[in-house]
Amino acid sequence: MAKCSVANASIFIRRRFLPFSAVMCHSLPSTYSSPLSVAMTMTMTSSSIYCRPRFPISPLTRLPRFPNSSSSFTTIASSQASGDAGKGGEFPGRVGFLGLGIMGSPMALNLLKAGCDVTVWNRTKSKCNHLIDLGAKYEPSPAEVASSCDIDVACGTNGAVKGMGSGKGYVDVSTVDGATSKLISKHIRDTGASFLEAPVSGSKKPAEDGQLIFLTAGDASLYEIASPLLDIMGKSRFYLGEVGNGAAMKLVVNMIMGSMMASFSEGLLLSEKVGLDPNVLIEVISQGAISAPMFSVKGPSMVKATYPTAFPLKHQQKDLRLALGLAESVTQSIPVAAAANELYKVAKSYGLSDQDFSAVIEALRAKLQH
Amino acid sequence: MEVGFLGLGIMGKAMAVNLLRHGYGVTVWNRTLSKCQELVQQGASVGETPAAVINKCKYTIAMLSDPSAALSVVFDKDGVLEQICDGKGYIDMSTVDAETSSKISEAITKKGGYFLEAPVSGSKKPAEDGQLVILAAGEKVLYDEMVPAFDVLGKKSFFLGEVGNGAKLKLVVNMIMGSMMNALSEGLCLADRSGLSQQTLLDVLDLGAIANPMFKLKGPAMIKGSYPPAFPLKHQQKDMRLALALGDENAVSMPIAAASNEAFKKARSLGLGDLDFSAVFEAVKSAKDSDSA
Repeated sequence: MAKCSVANASIFIRRRFLPFSAVMCHSLPSTYSSPLSVAMTMTMTSSSIYCRPRFPISPLTRLPRFPNSSSSFTTIASSQASGDAGKGGEFPGRVGFLGLGIMGSPMALNLLKAGCDVTVWNRTKSKCNHLIDLGAKYEPSPAEVASSCDIDVACGTNGAVKGMGSGKGYVDVSTVDGATSKLISKHIRDTGASFLEAPVSGSKKPAEDGQLIFLTAGDASLYEIASPLLDIMGKSRFYLGEVGNGAAMKLVVNMIMGSMMASFSEGLLLSEKVGLDPNVLIEVISQGAISAPMFSVKGPSMVKATYPTAFPLKHQQKDLRLALGLAESVTQSIPVAAAANELYKVAKSYGLSDQDFSAVIEALRAKLQH
Repeated sequence: MEVGFLGLGIMGKAMAVNLLRHGYGVTVWNRTLSKCQELVQQGASVGETPAAVINKCKYTIAMLSDPSAALSVVFDKDGVLEQICDGKGYIDMSTVDAETSSKISEAITKKGGYFLEAPVSGSKKPAEDGQLVILAAGEKVLYDEMVPAFDVLGKKSFFLGEVGNGAKLKLVVNMIMGSMMNALSEGLCLADRSGLSQQTLLDVLDLGAIANPMFKLKGPAMIKGSYPPAFPLKHQQKDMRLALALGDENAVSMPIAAASNEAFKKARSLGLGDLDFSAVFEAVKSAKDSDSA
């Protein structure tokens, strides 16, 4: 377990779920005047509409299998003085967590267990209690814990951007499209601070188990500094170069996943229709070259026509749409992904947006619309 | 135990060798007889025709490339039907459509023989290592008698009921496999054209919910443009086509499989049919907009 020890650094991890693809701003508490300040923000939004921004923000992608629930923030700001500062693998700073939803709560818990000094905030205070019981501090507002930027307000008076500056860092653990990420990056870097996009692959269980995969891009120096924290929350991390690359990698992975789920759905349905037991298909697949955790985890519930939401279908469709956009921008034809996208759209038209993305199997059953 | 073995291609040769190594007496036949020599060196006998093999052996396994080869071996002159009779078992492990399998089953049983279809999931390496997954259907009695041989050839076998069920299940599995290979190809292309490292994509995939042996095994070679045939593309495309026909018969919607099949057809038209089915990557790569640089 990595020890979060200290000195003079702040990390802000923010996770949030808003109806608009915007990031909220709160002013940095004056106590956070350390030379190194790292803000990690995780924004999850489900919006498929444009917010009314001053900037053209495109709909944000979602983390895979992020549940459709809280609009909460997770900020981590760590500043705990001890003599161990500077040892390899340790993060020198105090961690504040804004947002204790399905992802934020287990992530904050992992940091707490690793010995980090964690301060939490959540819109519904009661959700903080289990972490407070374990030693987390609590602040009554995000502004008092850390700062996160709402692009709407980013240029406003109380933005996190205002609190950023040379020597500080901003790590955005949200899943956004490349354009949004680049926009945030520009504003952060304009203050002299460094920026790292770090979307994750993995949902609730990997978050709980500290098994997330970080797909980072941006300032390499910030990547080095934040790595100990990423190592607590995840099992692997990648540094992919310039801002936009993390977002793109996330889209490619989710595109393959969406196509695989659609194909698997075809297989289950076809087996059923020709008189085979779909459960036998699942077992046979699990024995061979195409055995994947997703099939054995989701298959049984799909056979029972239940789709408990781990990754909402509407977000999988959004990711496919964005992947198609990316493909068009680099002149690559991807017909299988395009066909899969159509199926997810049909599933949405059947009212399955908030079900797990495995509900795409329903799109293969023709329904008369009235 | 003595078995006959018809067909010594990529799969048949590996499987026959496995049986020989486990102490089975094996009598082989291949359309190109010279291919039998290597097996003879490992202790096999040779049958000049399928009929000759049936005549000699109580149980005969066939491992042929496609429906027409499977039918030919049974129905043509000097074929299986000439010698099949009471007490003899015929086990067709080729991947064919259900109709072909039923046709063969009917003809065999009419002559008093026992029939079992037993297509496999797994390609060259699993065949060599005795790690195939066997999807049997047909005569249960024959299945029970073949279990010891199946345990040599594979890691797991299933008995799926009436003739046709094994064939159908195999086609469904290969349909998903073909679509997954297309999805991987599209992902590798998109990653590359977006300035990402293809190897990094493979590394990321291998860590998550969609990690699977096929991506792990074939991905690195695909990046290098290398497609040594473990499962020839032309056979994968045949399986996609047969799966689509099955969906067609049953009015099942299969847009992903249809799109994947198109890519395999294109790959065949590019002359890639004898390469590994992962060569569909070349067809996907070539799908750029005409005004690209």
